[in-house]
Amino acid sequence: MVRFETLMGLAVVGAFFIVSAGFAQEANDQDAKPIPILQGSVALISDFTGGQPDIHPIATPVVLLPIGQRWLFETRATFENDFVEVPGRSGFHGGPVQKEVEYAQLDFVANKFMTISAGRFLTPFGIFNERLYPAWIRNLQSDPLILPIGIGPSNASTGAMVRGGFQARPQFDINYTVYFSTVVTTTPVDSDRFAGGRTGIFVPKARLEVGASFQHLLQQERSNLFGFHAIWQPTALPLDLRWEYARSKRGSGYWLEPAYKLSQLPFLQNEMRRTQLVARYQEFFTGPAVSDSLPPVHTKQFEFGANYYFMDGLKFATNYGRQFSSLGNVNVWTLGLTYRFVVPLGPDGSPK
Amino acid sequence: MKRNCMMLCCLAAMTLLVGKTLGQERPKSETFSKATPPAGAPLLTGNSKSTDESTSPQGADRTEQARRGTKSEPSERAEGEQRFRENCGRCHQPPHKFPPRVMAAAIRHMRVRALLTDEDMRLILNYMTR
Repeated sequence: MVRFETLMGLAVVGAFFIVSAGFAQEANDQDAKPIPILQGSVALISDFTGGQPDIHPIATPVVLLPIGQRWLFETRATFENDFVEVPGRSGFHGGPVQKEVEYAQLDFVANKFMTISAGRFLTPFGIFNERLYPAWIRNLQSDPLILPIGIGPSNASTGAMVRGGFQARPQFDINYTVYFSTVVTTTPVDSDRFAGGRTGIFVPKARLEVGASFQHLLQQERSNLFGFHAIWQPTALPLDLRWEYARSKRGSGYWLEPAYKLSQLPFLQNEMRRTQLVARYQEFFTGPAVSDSLPPVHTKQFEFGANYYFMDGLKFATNYGRQFSSLGNVNVWTLGLTYRFVVPLGPDGSPK
Repeated sequence: MKRNCMMLCCLAAMTLLVGKTLGQERPKSETFSKATPPAGAPLLTGNSKSTDESTSPQGADRTEQARRGTKSEPSERAEGEQRFRENCGRCHQPPHKFPPRVMAAAIRHMRVRALLTDEDMRLILNYMTR
């Protein structure tokens, strides 16, 4: 334990050293001065897991507030409701709107190697939570079974984070994230006390990224968690291949998700290049400790679906799958429409 | 009853958005198709990473330009498009262009979120706004 804290202390000292070195460098001058923007997405997702229809309208606004040359305040909230059929009553009925601040962080671009963030931030364990979670980005609307591993009770951490990406060699870039989170017990912004990091190597020519995540829980069972991820987009095919593996004391598992755009088909090209076929296979194995957010038994799930992109921000998504476990096999079926918006909160610099 | 009305309003709003977007699609689709070449096809004529820079005369010229920081505008744009596909394409579909000051804010956000390098950020911003 002492050794781990010593290492963390050394990491912090090293970070401050690099920051002070970075002050000598000028910030990257951009032609256009950034303005505050409101972006985000709205989605209407229908879920028919286990034959129970459920309708989720979700609104996820994101506010970006650039301050000067080096600072950025960013926050994302979610407003969500679940409409379900109630026995004996007609139609769908929902409860109160669930509101949550998913993250609210202040970023400081120290230099080209490092950005420092503080506040409430999405836990960078694996790739799904931080990069692929929003409904308008994800290929399949259902969450991976292993998503709760390593991201904390509300998918976010409260603390500080140092991160960056740089070209290590002409052939590849390296990215890294080191973070510390403290305990917050106020729902729905609760978080656990842990420290961890993630690193990745990206080979632009091959369009391949591989990476690994590590986390040490500083409470409860004080266990270690680790994971691996890969994203590959072969240049010869309109194919996205994503894979993630996570292991913890509360369970482990993996998912593999290929997504293929039909743009190479020689007919109906306008429609085909907007259509994407997706599949995901995933498996979860239970661990010695239990978790409310993970399946209680060994579970396998296969899904396939299709997305149609009317444009970058507007997508129709549908998928069907089957979940296999000793508790009983169930169908997983979702149907959704997602829309991403960007609203400038000031003069946007467009030519008149 | 009130919630059902809210649901209907949500559905109506989404239908309107879809209708509006489809209405805008026809004039924009030409731009979209130009920005989405088939996979494997060269992006623009100045696709620097698909040539051997050290051996071809054009590649050597480009390397020299890059070294001196005097890359030509089409070359920078091609490089920016390539960087967009390599970095942003891992999560995003190719979008329409954004106004410069909006993109400047978005690229700072993506620098933090997607761990873009300094050079990626500069080239993608240039490509997305010009």
